[in-house]
Amino acid sequence: MNLYSRGDKLFVILNMVLIGLFTLSTLYPFIYIASLSMSTGFEARSGNVILTPVGFTLEAYKQVLSEPLFWSSYKNTFIYTIGGTLMSLAFIIPGAYALSKPQLYGRRFWNLVVAFTMWFNAGLIPFFLNMRDLGLLDSYFGIIIGFAVNGFNIILLRNFFEGIPKSFEEAARMDGANEFQVLWKVYVPLSKPAIATVALFCIVSRWNGFFWAMVLLQDEEKIPLQVYLRKVIVELSDDEEFATTLLTAAYSVETVTAAIIVCSIIPILLIYPFLQKYFSKGILLGGVKE
Amino acid sequence: MTSDPNFTGAAGPSTEELIFDATEAQRRRRPSRIERVGDHLKREWQLYVMLIPTILWLAIFLYKPMYGLQIAFKDYSVFRGVEGSPWIGFEHFQTLFGNDQFLRALKNTIVISFYGLIFGFPMPILLALMFNEILKQTFKKTAQTIVYLPHFVSSVIIAGIVITAFSPSAGIVNTMLGWLGIEPIYFLTKPEWFRPIFVGTGIWQEAGFQSIVYLAAIAGISPTLYESAVVDGASRWQMMWKITLPSILPTIIIMLIIRIGNMLEVSFEMIILLYQPATYETADVVNTFIYRQGIQGGQYDLAAAAGLFNAVVAFVLVMTANAISKRYSRTSLW
Amino acid sequence: MAGVHLNGIVKAYGALQVVHGIDLEVREKEFVVLVGPSGCGKSTTLRMIAGLEEISDGDLTIDGRLVNRVAPKDRDVAMVFQNYALYPHLNVADNIAFGLRIRKESKEKIASSVEEVGGILGLTPYLERRPADLSGGQRQRVAMGRAIVRRPKVFLFDEPLSNLDAKLRTQMRAEIKRLHKRLGATSIYVTHDQVEAMTLADRIVVMHDGRIEQIGSPMELFLNPANTFVAGFLGSPPMNMVKAIVVAGDQGPVAEFDGQRVQLQHIPALTNAVGQEVILGIRPEFVSVSNQSDPNLINLDVDLVETLGSEALIHASLQGDPFVIRTNTVGQMNILDGIKGFTIEPHLVKVFDARTGNALPGQVLEQ
Repeated sequence: MNLYSRGDKLFVILNMVLIGLFTLSTLYPFIYIASLSMSTGFEARSGNVILTPVGFTLEAYKQVLSEPLFWSSYKNTFIYTIGGTLMSLAFIIPGAYALSKPQLYGRRFWNLVVAFTMWFNAGLIPFFLNMRDLGLLDSYFGIIIGFAVNGFNIILLRNFFEGIPKSFEEAARMDGANEFQVLWKVYVPLSKPAIATVALFCIVSRWNGFFWAMVLLQDEEKIPLQVYLRKVIVELSDDEEFATTLLTAAYSVETVTAAIIVCSIIPILLIYPFLQKYFSKGILLGGVKE
Repeated sequence: MTSDPNFTGAAGPSTEELIFDATEAQRRRRPSRIERVGDHLKREWQLYVMLIPTILWLAIFLYKPMYGLQIAFKDYSVFRGVEGSPWIGFEHFQTLFGNDQFLRALKNTIVISFYGLIFGFPMPILLALMFNEILKQTFKKTAQTIVYLPHFVSSVIIAGIVITAFSPSAGIVNTMLGWLGIEPIYFLTKPEWFRPIFVGTGIWQEAGFQSIVYLAAIAGISPTLYESAVVDGASRWQMMWKITLPSILPTIIIMLIIRIGNMLEVSFEMIILLYQPATYETADVVNTFIYRQGIQGGQYDLAAAAGLFNAVVAFVLVMTANAISKRYSRTSLW
Repeated sequence: MAGVHLNGIVKAYGALQVVHGIDLEVREKEFVVLVGPSGCGKSTTLRMIAGLEEISDGDLTIDGRLVNRVAPKDRDVAMVFQNYALYPHLNVADNIAFGLRIRKESKEKIASSVEEVGGILGLTPYLERRPADLSGGQRQRVAMGRAIVRRPKVFLFDEPLSNLDAKLRTQMRAEIKRLHKRLGATSIYVTHDQVEAMTLADRIVVMHDGRIEQIGSPMELFLNPANTFVAGFLGSPPMNMVKAIVVAGDQGPVAEFDGQRVQLQHIPALTNAVGQEVILGIRPEFVSVSNQSDPNLINLDVDLVETLGSEALIHASLQGDPFVIRTNTVGQMNILDGIKGFTIEPHLVKVFDARTGNALPGQVLEQ
């Protein structure tokens, strides 16, 4: 049976074509970068790379991977990402739990203390000066602790905790569980999706974060991948000397840049299935609440 | 067996009764307030132990800088510190509002936000409506997977892609222009090109992901609405305009209010990566101005004043937006 | 020795008092059911006994110990929740063992207790399953298993059957009853379902608006409700209420309404009661219907006869109010079509004071 009229069919097809085009335009830059990274510097410089690698070579990757700073920054990103995420969860999970409990004295006030930081922040300069006064410039610990808590994540998790039926806690209480046991043995297992969401929020923002790392870290040994990437992309592309010396080589500024981009995007692609699953839940969970 | 129908109390004295009487001595009606607080803390102290780290963190890393904001009214010197520096009142604010660079940054912030709103806001709605009309699930899933991806990519990488793609010598954009016989354009050094590139990049990066909110709203529409429309002979085009769009209108309005509330939140990280002195004219926003003056230039007090101004305006905008949306939807945003 | 004693128990939220001073003594091994419409304070009372709600005033003793300010875990009580509160991430055995683990019992003790409880409740084949893979009745059993494994002094049940369908509810009701017989533990059970109350309870406590209306065995309450509230709450269909005035009759007091007369029982409270407004409580089961014209007959306008097999429900109206009769169908089918009215024995007509709603004293129906 034909459920759709001709007009409907046309509409459906046109719609698919438009979505298809938008999707391709999203995908294309990534393909372009990947192809660029595997082309020779000469072809890249001459603007011959359109879709697929031209004069296939892995010279650019060799170049990137032989740079010690690339490896140290990669390692640092892992340290900041894993350390920062664990630190965040260590603060956020108990904090959100306490704030979700109606028996907490001053609960409204404490919640306001958290929410206010989302509406008003002192800004770049006082935060920077504060970090400096605390002696947290140029320090791994400073980067990890300095961005551990954020109001949005606390409220997201608090909302989720509030949605857990009270009887779970009460049953555990009657069984003799204390608050820590209720949290650890009941709430945490029941909240796995929400905690995964918060963890992924942390992981992504840590992996991608560059501004504060750039501002707070002077020591090249401590910089994360994104700051290194910026150095290469922004600073070297302006550097005419570097650009010309490499003009005839098997690699160029463009191919090296592209290769670093590919290297730094791979971990995100690896966890992307999880990201997609939990992020959509997360933005809906944290966004609008009664 | 007979019994008194008005029986409402306990039975006669029993063993339990006698034991109960024995506890009469420890009997205390209505515990005092202090006792109640004591009981509460004895029972719930662990909750406070859980809360303290978070509150301390907020105090040290977010509230202490708010105290530090006072340097906006001081002649701050690194050696005297925040408290030791002398007060100078509103001098920094007077300087700022006489400063062409600051005024330019303020104007750029508003203009860039406004472009972002005009061009960026409808895009995710359109995408969500279109995604909803796709019948092939595999096609839909694949397309969604791809368009969400740029959201998770760092601004440095996005900037890298933009710089590479718009590069005058090798970039794909100029290559394509070359096919049309157009001379290479140094896009990133031209002030007139900065805003289109910046806003366009933002849409490219975020539109797909932002459509999730609207897709969720669409998923909440009762299928019976569509079924009865089909029975009435409505076309898909008509259903999209007459059912889907009106049904998600509340979500659209809330998102619009949030967006306006966050007007000043131009993603300055991206601007720092993309702008250069040649494009400051159209690209420099308040936060990048603060970054240059304060962190790069060391004029902490002046930059803090600019930041305070920014934060206060943003706060007023957000609170207004929250109040309006609360009224509109009876749900607050947080 | 595990009695529960409530003495003037009050629950107030600020100025709002929701439980107005409950006095109740639950004896050892007794099964007491708190029943009442929603919002009557029964659940709040139960939760105060459990220690989940603070007691605003009054004394609560369990097993002779004042426990007002004792934490739930130290009261030696266990509770079965309405939604069971089974942990979805734990299997049946781990759910049952949860409380023992928290209390750091030995592994051997936990294993043997879980096994024993699983046996008692017929859960042995399901011990490895997750709650999501169980039927409603099985989940209910796990919830009970979690309560009994600790061998507490007192069991508390908060509407444990309300999430089940009608058939399972009947089955689980019988199971709870059997379990109570077997374990003999003091039990306090909250429900809004009067059938559950009638079938399970040793004694029923009828609550209304934060107060106790009446306490007694199911049959006491059924036959001798203390007031119109209890009369209307227990029994299905509920007791019919007919407004009337007491007049003098040849054979003692008579109630008159709409020109019809009903002979009342001789009780002292009615001897000088001519002119008093009363409410007659007539159980649907206590009348005999007739299709013959008879001067003693109380006439009815029959709207509808519902035949349910062995019995029939006759929906009629009296004085404009609905009046329901429940009668056997056996040998009566021929008269069901042409019912004109009914007769009732005087001692079966319960008389309430129309002003207070309380039963007149001295009228006691024997079981």
